Amino acid sequence: MAVIRLSGPDARSITKKIFRSRQPLSHRKAVIGELIDRNGFIDTAISTFFAAPDSYTGEDLVEISLHGNPYLCDLVIDACNEFGAHLAGPGEFTQRAFLNGKMDLSQAEGVADLIYSSSRAAQKISANLLKGSFGREIKRLKSQLVEALSIIELEMDFMDEEIDHTPLEKLQNKIAAIIKKTDGLIKSYEVGKILREGIFCPIIGPPNSGKSSLFNAFLQEERVIVSPRPGTTRDYIEEVVRIGNYQIRFMDTAGLRKSTDEIESRGIQKTRVLMLSANTILYVIDSSKPLKGLPDLPSHLLKKTLFILNKSDLTDSKNLRRLNEIFGKYPHLSCSALKNEGVHRIAKTIIEQLEAKIHNFGDTHIISRQRHKNALISTKKFLKLAWRNLHNKSAPEIIAIDLREALGGLDIILGKTENEDILNHIFSHFCIGK
Amino acid sequence: MFHVKLDFENIVIGGGHAGVEAALASARMGISTLLITMEKSAIARMSCNPAIGGLAKGHLVAEIDALGGEMAKVTDKTGIQFRMLNRSKGRAVWSPRAQADKLQYSLEMISLVVAQKNLEILEDTAIGIITEHNQIVAVQTKKCGFITCKTAIITAGTFLNGLIHIGVKQKRGGRLGEKSALGITESLNAVGIKSGRLKTGTPPRIHRDSINFDQLTPQYGDKNPKPFSFQTKNFNPINIPCYITYTNPGTHAILFSGLDRSPLYTGRIKGVGPRYCPSIEDKIVRFRERTSHQIFLEPEWEDSYQYYVNGFSTSLPVDIQEKGLHSIRGLENAEIIKPGYAIEYDFFPSYQLKRTLETKVIGGLYLAGQVNGTSGYEEAAALGLVAGINAALKNRDEQPFFLTRSEAYIGVLIDDLITKSPTEPYRMFTSSAEYRLLLRFDNADQRLSHYGHRFGLIQHNQFLLSQCRKHLIEKSIRYLHQTSLSPSVINPRLADKLENPVKSGISLFKLLCRPNIHLADLYPLLPESFLRTFSKLDGLAEQVELDVKYHGYIQRQINLIKTQSRQEQIRLPDNIEYLKINSITKEAREKLNLMRPETIAQAGRIPGVSPADITALLILLKKQGVSRETE
Ligand SMILES: Cc1cc2nc3c(=O)[nH]c(=O)nc-3n(C[C@H](O)[C@H](O)[C@H](O)COP(=O)(O)OP(=O)(O)OC[C@H]3O[C@@H](n4cnc5c(N)ncnc54)[C@H](O)[C@@H]3O)c2cc1C
Ligand SMILES: Nc1nc2c(ncn2[C@@H]2O[C@H](COP(=O)(O)OP(=O)(O)OP(=O)(O)O)[C@@H](O)[C@H]2O)c(=O)[nH]1
Ligand SMILES: [Mg+2]
Repeated sequence: MAVIRLSGPDARSITKKIFRSRQPLSHRKAVIGELIDRNGFIDTAISTFFAAPDSYTGEDLVEISLHGNPYLCDLVIDACNEFGAHLAGPGEFTQRAFLNGKMDLSQAEGVADLIYSSSRAAQKISANLLKGSFGREIKRLKSQLVEALSIIELEMDFMDEEIDHTPLEKLQNKIAAIIKKTDGLIKSYEVGKILREGIFCPIIGPPNSGKSSLFNAFLQEERVIVSPRPGTTRDYIEEVVRIGNYQIRFMDTAGLRKSTDEIESRGIQKTRVLMLSANTILYVIDSSKPLKGLPDLPSHLLKKTLFILNKSDLTDSKNLRRLNEIFGKYPHLSCSALKNEGVHRIAKTIIEQLEAKIHNFGDTHIISRQRHKNALISTKKFLKLAWRNLHNKSAPEIIAIDLREALGGLDIILGKTENEDILNHIFSHFCIGK
Repeated sequence: MFHVKLDFENIVIGGGHAGVEAALASARMGISTLLITMEKSAIARMSCNPAIGGLAKGHLVAEIDALGGEMAKVTDKTGIQFRMLNRSKGRAVWSPRAQADKLQYSLEMISLVVAQKNLEILEDTAIGIITEHNQIVAVQTKKCGFITCKTAIITAGTFLNGLIHIGVKQKRGGRLGEKSALGITESLNAVGIKSGRLKTGTPPRIHRDSINFDQLTPQYGDKNPKPFSFQTKNFNPINIPCYITYTNPGTHAILFSGLDRSPLYTGRIKGVGPRYCPSIEDKIVRFRERTSHQIFLEPEWEDSYQYYVNGFSTSLPVDIQEKGLHSIRGLENAEIIKPGYAIEYDFFPSYQLKRTLETKVIGGLYLAGQVNGTSGYEEAAALGLVAGINAALKNRDEQPFFLTRSEAYIGVLIDDLITKSPTEPYRMFTSSAEYRLLLRFDNADQRLSHYGHRFGLIQHNQFLLSQCRKHLIEKSIRYLHQTSLSPSVINPRLADKLENPVKSGISLFKLLCRPNIHLADLYPLLPESFLRTFSKLDGLAEQVELDVKYHGYIQRQINLIKTQSRQEQIRLPDNIEYLKINSITKEAREKLNLMRPETIAQAGRIPGVSPADITALLILLKKQGVSRETE
């Protein structure tokens, strides 16, 4: 189990956007429902609303309990952020609780130590991170943003001067370039996370197609039970395989089918959830059996699916032709898990796909922390507003607000920007004053 | 001079821009006040450029006006050219600027001060303060000896140990031709108030008859200018031009040749100068690639024979100044009346102040103006006014007065002073105000006149006028919200403006939110009475439009203020031993120990103090609170 907490005046309204339930959220009542994001269903979950001031933080608070899968949590957090939430800084919850008078002295003492140590630890980690290429990249981004903001501020605070004011289109282009850069960093998170945690490849497919056999073949050991009886695997099991510089996290799953069996159907439910968080879905089918058509997968899952046509040792040419018709347009490989043929190719293909992605980022730094990603998402959001406002010829003081908020996103990573930084830029780059 | 009383409730030291506002406010609030100043005829003298207002500074002047100060009204009365700056930008950054008549401005202020009830003027030099138990009890002057008081405000400007530089020559002085003031700095140092050294400069003044005006481009003010004061009626000022010319590579070569005798470049000047007011030698050295700099010639008063060479601030030797000027178009025969010079003076780093401008060390002692490390007449006047009001309140045993960052530029100014404690002369910029959208020149009266009214510095009918405006704006916006138009009525009009049609009814408010729709476009759809109201109160329609157009952003700023306001209210006791708090970083500990902020919010704004440090502080406060209660 995992618990995600939302605190603040918008807690309830944000929850309503990501959590569908029959019963309304009301004080202290646990409500069952479905978590959803832009792509649809994520997980079933239980949400409990606590109205201010009767909550841990003393603010409106929602507690969402879901399956303890980190990918799922990421998805839910992303969805919340999209509607205006932000990740709590170290100790922020407790700080709020504290400010709202929700803590007695004895608790407060322990909490103080906790916040101190956790924020120091966080500081140390981020200080280390900032030393490397990530730090350079973010600092470059920040200095570009400071430059853009300076241009706007210069317009307003020094119009009387004979400065060559930057034309608006040029500023707009500068901002577009920063947006592109920010976007690149945000997109790199997917890869960054893979590099840090391994490529997550759940093995999915109908019962008896040979998923467990393939899993064992990857591991080169008899890790899970294999049997001719459909429905052998009921729960999921994950193992990490190192290949070259990369790690692949294979996961054996329960076969997909409609089932009345209570335990099994819960397993299948989980499988669907796993597909959401997969980097590559290995969809295994039994190529010796006739197949009616392409498995019914939503397009956002289909995009990351590699079809495995297993039991190649049993299939005939007629069936193969038919399978080729069906899968021709989609990435697919055939193999025999039993004979250990073509298994290595699968792993190689997975890694090649990853390397191609990494290559796409060129020399952009690849980010690997959700905190950083969220900060950058917020930066991007306000940059886009700034761009739009420039486009609409809005007043510079409005654009400045957008740019300052965009800068605020980077402040989460780099620490606060002082107005002095902006003025420094202005004074060192423009001949100001009479 | 010896018929002066021996005791006053409040003493103001220095009759500059800070001093006059402080003295007038205090006296008008019923406090017996003494203004000590070195030269009566120099009261409210403009040391440098003959101008009031300008970007952000114009906002300060409007706020001074709304609080009941004099700067705006006197400028409206005596100014010789008025211009609204930034007109092409959004209204939040519109700011007025006036060419001042230095003589009339000063004379007008002198007559106000002289006529003011409860206010006496002493032409003398203060040389020290006397304290007892960390409270001020008296001021010592050169000629009159000791005069007791409950509060004192030091507004000594650039005079404390003032040192004037022209080329390699140095001489003591508070301004060219005026003595410097000795003793005050040392007296404050002795009670534990630290001082530092700053520098500023001014350009030469030249004779009108030596200028070739036909070579120059005149620049006039606005045809229908707006006054600074919301209380000014029938505003019809004269409009005297300034003239524009430029330096050239020849000028720069001459100036370069004098650098070896520049006090700035030979290390004679130790004080830090303002980067936004660089001298001409600074500009040519730092921006070598520029072949030309703009110069404004500004008359110093109506019919002035003396012109101020704006853009040519310098402390180079006089012969270089002269040669340099002669190389400029239109100034070939320029005759220098007063040379440009630099001045170094003492200031008191502003972290030593509370937000009331009372010093943290000595009760009843207030500092205002240039001595706080600011620069500019407007900044000085604003600080003087706040100090004057607070000294009066202290005498009346009433709650102190301060403004927050979300209320006024003055709030930003003072908060920046006490939390950032600048080490170069501080000047107001609009970019320093995070709530810039809310703090406009055109709404200063609506934001602040209730304070001025409460202190008795704003008359009741003036106060009602600003309240009336505020009320009418709110009412108009409500009307726009509540009135919807059907597609058949509005779509033809939208089509005229090449705007997308609407499918269902739309409120006037929503329509006005569209970037290309303006309130004037909606006039035909508004009731007659509405338009009559708009025509009666100048600028009302524009304020309504702005409030609607930027509604989303304004709301965002208001929400931000709300989340901050709690921290603004949590006070930090004076006796916290910051150095002993282990749960905050060493850097934060030292900063907090030095700056000793008054509230949690202030602490959070000190550079180097992180949110985690703030949490630790809050917890500590809570603990202390509990232990105090149980004692
Ligand atoms: C050379 C020069 C250049 C400047 N350049 C600029 C510029 O480019 N831009 C800008 O914004 N500002 C500039 N200024 C600053 C501007 O003049 C000041 O910011 C403003 O005048 C400060 O107002 P104030 O009331 O603090 O002090 P001031 O206007 O300096 O007034 C101080 C008054 O106090 C009196 N006084 C001082 N000490 C004593 C004492 N011990 N006893 C009795 N009376 C005393 C003096 O006689 C004087 O009347 C310049 C000032 C100077 C001198
Ligand atoms: N001939 C042949 N048999 C295979 C191959 N792969 C798996 N099998 C057999 O197919 C049967 C099912 O294999 P499993 O690996 O248990 O299949 P599964 O997909 O895990 O099945 P469930 O867990 O029940 O969903 C077993 O009898 C395997 O020995 C293959 O490549 N060739
Ligand atoms: Mg299995």
